[in-house]
Amino acid sequence: MATPGGQGGGALSTRGGARRMKWALELTLGNARGRGDRQSNQGDVMYPIGYSDKPVPDTSIQESDKNLVEKRCWDVALGPLKQIPMNLFIMYMSGNTISIFPIMMVCMMAWRPIQALMSMSATFKLLENSNQQWLQGLVYSVGNLLGSALAIYKCQSMGLLPTHSSDWLAFIEPPVRMEIMGGGMVL
Amino acid sequence: MKPPAKMSKPTSLFVIFFSLFVMSEAVFEDQVGKFDWRQQYVGKTLFAHFDSHSQSSKKLFLATDKNIFASFNSRTGELFWRHVDKAGPEGTIDILLLHGQDALMVVGGGRLLRSWDTNMGGLNWEAVLDTGSFQAACFVAMQDTVKHVAVLKKAAISLHYLTNGHQKWVENLPDSDTVQYQAVYSGGEEEVYVLGVVPNSHLTIIAYSLEDGEIIKQRSVEAPWLSSVESSCVVVGHGVLMCVDTATLALYALPIQSLDLEVSPGFQPVLVSSQPHPARSPISEFFLQLGPDHHVLLQLNADGYTIAPLRDFQPAFLVSFSTTGEKTVAAVMTPKNETVKKKKNVASCMWSYSSDVFPPQLYVHAFLKKDDSVGYRVLVQTQDHALTFIQQPGRVVWTREEALADVVTMEMVDLPLTGTQAELEGEFGKKADGLFPMVLKRLSSQVILLQAWLAHLWKLFYEARKPHGQVKNEVTIETLSRDEFNLQKMMVMVTASGKLFGIDSKSGSILWKHYLENVQPNAVFKLIVQRTTAHFPHPPQCTLLIKDKDTGLASLHVFNPIFGRKSHIAPPALPRPILQSLLLPVIDQDYAKVLLLVDDQYKVTAFPSTKNVLQQLQEMASSIFFYLIRSDQGNLSGFRLRKDLSTERIWEVVLPTEVQKIVAVNGKRPNEHVHSQGRVMGDRSVLYKYLNPNLLAVVTESTDAHPERAFVGVFLVDGVTGRIIHEAVQRKARGPVHFVHSENWVVYEYWNTKSRRNEFSVLELFEGTELYNSTVFSSLDRPHLPQVLQQTYIFPSPITTMEATLTEKGITSRHLLVGLPSGAILSLPKMFLDPRRPEVVTEHSREENLIPYAPEMPIRTEWFINYNQTVARVKGIYTAPSGLESTCLVVAYGLDIYQTRVYPSKQFDVLKDDYDYVLISSVLFALFFATMISKRLAQVKLLNRAWR
Repeated sequence: MATPGGQGGGALSTRGGARRMKWALELTLGNARGRGDRQSNQGDVMYPIGYSDKPVPDTSIQESDKNLVEKRCWDVALGPLKQIPMNLFIMYMSGNTISIFPIMMVCMMAWRPIQALMSMSATFKLLENSNQQWLQGLVYSVGNLLGSALAIYKCQSMGLLPTHSSDWLAFIEPPVRMEIMGGGMVL
Repeated sequence: MKPPAKMSKPTSLFVIFFSLFVMSEAVFEDQVGKFDWRQQYVGKTLFAHFDSHSQSSKKLFLATDKNIFASFNSRTGELFWRHVDKAGPEGTIDILLLHGQDALMVVGGGRLLRSWDTNMGGLNWEAVLDTGSFQAACFVAMQDTVKHVAVLKKAAISLHYLTNGHQKWVENLPDSDTVQYQAVYSGGEEEVYVLGVVPNSHLTIIAYSLEDGEIIKQRSVEAPWLSSVESSCVVVGHGVLMCVDTATLALYALPIQSLDLEVSPGFQPVLVSSQPHPARSPISEFFLQLGPDHHVLLQLNADGYTIAPLRDFQPAFLVSFSTTGEKTVAAVMTPKNETVKKKKNVASCMWSYSSDVFPPQLYVHAFLKKDDSVGYRVLVQTQDHALTFIQQPGRVVWTREEALADVVTMEMVDLPLTGTQAELEGEFGKKADGLFPMVLKRLSSQVILLQAWLAHLWKLFYEARKPHGQVKNEVTIETLSRDEFNLQKMMVMVTASGKLFGIDSKSGSILWKHYLENVQPNAVFKLIVQRTTAHFPHPPQCTLLIKDKDTGLASLHVFNPIFGRKSHIAPPALPRPILQSLLLPVIDQDYAKVLLLVDDQYKVTAFPSTKNVLQQLQEMASSIFFYLIRSDQGNLSGFRLRKDLSTERIWEVVLPTEVQKIVAVNGKRPNEHVHSQGRVMGDRSVLYKYLNPNLLAVVTESTDAHPERAFVGVFLVDGVTGRIIHEAVQRKARGPVHFVHSENWVVYEYWNTKSRRNEFSVLELFEGTELYNSTVFSSLDRPHLPQVLQQTYIFPSPITTMEATLTEKGITSRHLLVGLPSGAILSLPKMFLDPRRPEVVTEHSREENLIPYAPEMPIRTEWFINYNQTVARVKGIYTAPSGLESTCLVVAYGLDIYQTRVYPSKQFDVLKDDYDYVLISSVLFALFFATMISKRLAQVKLLNRAWR
C-alpha cells in the first residue's frame, strides 16, 4: 500500500551544524548549494521531500477494493479448474500411444496438481485476506484433485495403470507339482 | 521383431529402452568363429590308401562306413575335402581302388562306378552299372599301363575304360546260378581271370580276353574243402593261386601242396598277399593267419610249387604290406607292448606306441627317403574308431576321434568353480565352530584370494612381455573353471562305439575320453546327470545306462563328467533286464539325485540306495509315478510306486498295433522354466497356459502306408492318470514325424501325402481366463480339460531334427532349431508357429503382436545360425541354458559337431560387441571435467559480483 508523504524525514540534513563540523554529508541533491539560487529555475527542489503536485489517490479501503481482493482470490482458487478444459484438449490431441511426448504431458499433468496440493499452505497465505478463504481453499484443492484425476484417467486410457490381471501376470509363481513322473519307451 | 511375445505396457517401456541396444540377428563377418566351432568327421574307415603318386604327397584317402570318401592331410590330420553320399545302403562304398591320380569307387552295392580326381576331389565321371550284387573289382593293365577296370558282379563281368568310364565289354558268367564268382584278378597279361567256387565241390577259373571279352580258357579244379574264395584264396607270385584248407590246414597252391602248421581251433585261416602294381604280378611273399594272434610269413619259391616259411609271428594281431619302388615292406602289429614291427623282407626294425584299445585295422605306407632308404608311416584304426597316424620312430603324428561321427546322446555340465571360488563357497558349507575360528577361516580364504589375484597379475605381466603369437590359451582340465556367465560348459558325448568324450564347449577340444569295452554295437544308452557341480566338495556325477538290446541286461557306468574318471561309487548289480529309468528330484545326503531303475518284473532298484534315500522314497512313494510304452504291443501303461519299492499298474491305454504304431513319446524337459503363466490378450486380460508337467506327447503313425489312408496321430496323455487330454489326427499324412513338446505347446512336422509337401502343425493348450489352482498342480485334481488351439503351416523343406531353445529363466522368447537335410540349422521363431495367428487382423491381434496367418512358412537365410558351416546329416540338436538369460547354447551333432550360441530375443542383457567404451568414457570424463571447471568459474563470477 502506497503511503504518500509518509517519508517526510527521509532527507537528513546536517546543514545546521555545517560550521561547527569538520565535514558534512549532504544527502539531498542540490541542497549543497544555497537554496535561494535555484528556487526560481528549478521548481521540483522547492517542494519538501515526498511532495507530489499530483493529487494523491484516495487510499481509504472501499467496498470495491474488497471486491477486487475477493475476485483475485477466486481467480487463484479457480485456476486449476480453468485449466481442466485445456488439459482435456491436450489429452485429446496427444492420443493414447506411448511415446515420449504424451508421456511427458501426462507427467506434467499429474505433477502440477500434486505440486499445487503440496504447496497448499502458500496458497492459503494468498487467500488470507479473503473472507471466503475456506471455500476458496476447498475449490482450489478440488480443482487440483480433478486435475490429478484427469491425469490418472489419462494414464488409465494409455494403459499405464496396473488394473488388469495381465499386469500382475509376472508375479504369479509357477505352481508346485504334486506328483513326480517319469519313464518312457521301453529301452 | 518384438521381444517376448506380449507383455504389459510398463514392460514394453523397457522394451523400447532395450531396443536401443538391439543387434542384428545374423552374424557379422568378424563374428565368424568367435562363438562357434565345427568339427568334421568321416566315421569308421573301411578302405584307406596313401597317395604314393608323388614323393612329397601329403594325401591320405579314406572310404568309410558312413558312405564318405575323404582326403586327409597326412601331416596334420586335417580334412582336405570330403564327399558325403546318401546314407544307408544306397550310398555304401563297396570298394575303393587307387591308381595314380584316379580313385575308383563302386557305390551302392554295385549300382554306380565313380572315378574321382584325387588332387582336387572332383568327380571325373560316373557310370551306371548293370544290376546285380557287387563281388569284386580290380584294375586291369596292358603293357604296363593301367587302362581299364574290371567289375565282377554276381552274374556278369564288365570292363570299363579308366579315362571316361565307358563300358568296353560286358559278359555274362557261365553257370552263375551254381557257381559263386567271388574274385577277379589281372596280372598284367592279356587276360582277366575270374574265380568262382561251388562250395565244397570245385573251383572255377575263367580267363577272359582283354580285347573283346571272349572266354579264352575255362578250367575247373576239384576243391571239396573250399567254401569261399574271398579270404582263403590269394594270388601269389606269377599267377599262382594259393588257397588254405580250413579243415586240415593244408595250403593248396595250384597244383596242390601241403605244409605242416597248426591252426587255433575254431579259427578260419586267412591269407594276406599284396599286388603292388596292377600291371605286375603279386609278390611271392604272403602271410597266413593261423589264429587271432598268430601269423606266418611264407614265400612261394621261384619254381612255383614249393613254399618256404620265412618267419613265424606269434603273437601278432595285424599284418599289412606296402611297396615303394622295388622294395616291399610287411608290417606286423604285435600285442605285447603294442609294437608296430617293420620287416623289409629280411631286415627288420621295430618301434612301439601305446594304445589301450585293440586295433582292428592297420595300413602301412612305405616311401623312399632322399638317401634311398625306406621310411614308413602307419595308419592304425582302433576299435574305438580312432585313427592314429604314426611316423617311423613311433611318434604319433595325429589322432582323429572318428567315434564322434556317431554321437548317440549328450549332456552339458557346468564347469566347477575355480579353487579359490570353491574355497569361499566351502566356507559357508562348513559347520560353524565359534567366532574366532570363523574369522580366521575368512581371513585365510581372503589371503588365498589375494594370492590368486597376485598370481594372475604376475601372469598377465609375464605374458605381456612375450611376443603376441606365442601366448596360447590352451585349455586343460586343470585350468577349467566356470566363466562369469557360465557360457563355457563341459559337453559329455556318448558315441555308438561306446566311447565317451568330454569336450570343452568353448574351443571344441577333447579334454578327456574313455572307452567302454564290451559295448554291443546295438546297445542303447541313456545319460543321466545325477549331481551337478553345484555341490562342492562333492564331485559332479553322471551315470550312463547301457542296455544290451539282445539280452536286455543293463549296466551302469558312473563317472565324473569333468575329468572323465570312473567314480568309486559301486553301481548296483542289475540281474534282471531293465526297462526304463527315472530320475527323481529327491536327493540323498550327498546331494546326488536318486535314479530309479525299473526291471522287467516292474520292481524298482534305487541308485544310490542308502538308508536315507530308502526312507525318503517310502515317504514319497505315493506321489511317484512312471509310465512305460511298449511300441510293439501298442501299449501305454502307468505305474505307481509302493512303499516296498514294488509297483502297481494304475492305468493302461492300448492303441491297436494293426492300425497304428507308436513311434515316439516325449515329456517336457525337467530343467525347463516357464516364466509367464499366461498370455496377455489384446484386451489386456490373461489367457492362462495349461502347464501340466506330467503331460506326454505320444506320436503314432498308421501301419497302412497308402497315401489316401495313411495318417499321423498325436495324443496328449497325462502320465499320472492316463487321461487322454487331446488327440489330433492328421489324415493323409505320413512320417517321419519330428516334434518338440515344451511349455504348453507341441510342434510337429510330417509329410502331407495328398498335397505332397512338408507341414508344420502346432498345438497350444490353455486353461482359459481363470486359473483352476494357482498354487499347486496335481494331475489327480484337474476336472476341466484345457482349451486346445491348432494351426498348420506349409514348410518348404523336409527336416531332419528339431529342438527348442532353452534359457535360464524362460523369459526370453522361444525359437525352434530345425536341422535341414542341407546341413543348415534354422532358428525359427516360435512366434510364427502360434495357433492364435489371426486370419483377419483386428485391433486386439495387432495389440498382441500376432502375425496375420499365412499358410507358407518362410525360410529366411539370415535365420541360419550356422551360416555356411553346414552340419552334415544332423541327427540331433542339444540346447542348454547359459548364465545369461538371453543366451542359449546349442550343439548340433550328426556326422559333424557344431557348437554355437543363439540369442532368441537378441542380446538384451549384454552390451554390444562393438560398444564404444572409449567414446562413452571420454565423453563422461569430458563432461565431468567441464562440470568441475564451470562450477569453479561460476564461483569466481559470483564472488566478483559480490564485490561490485
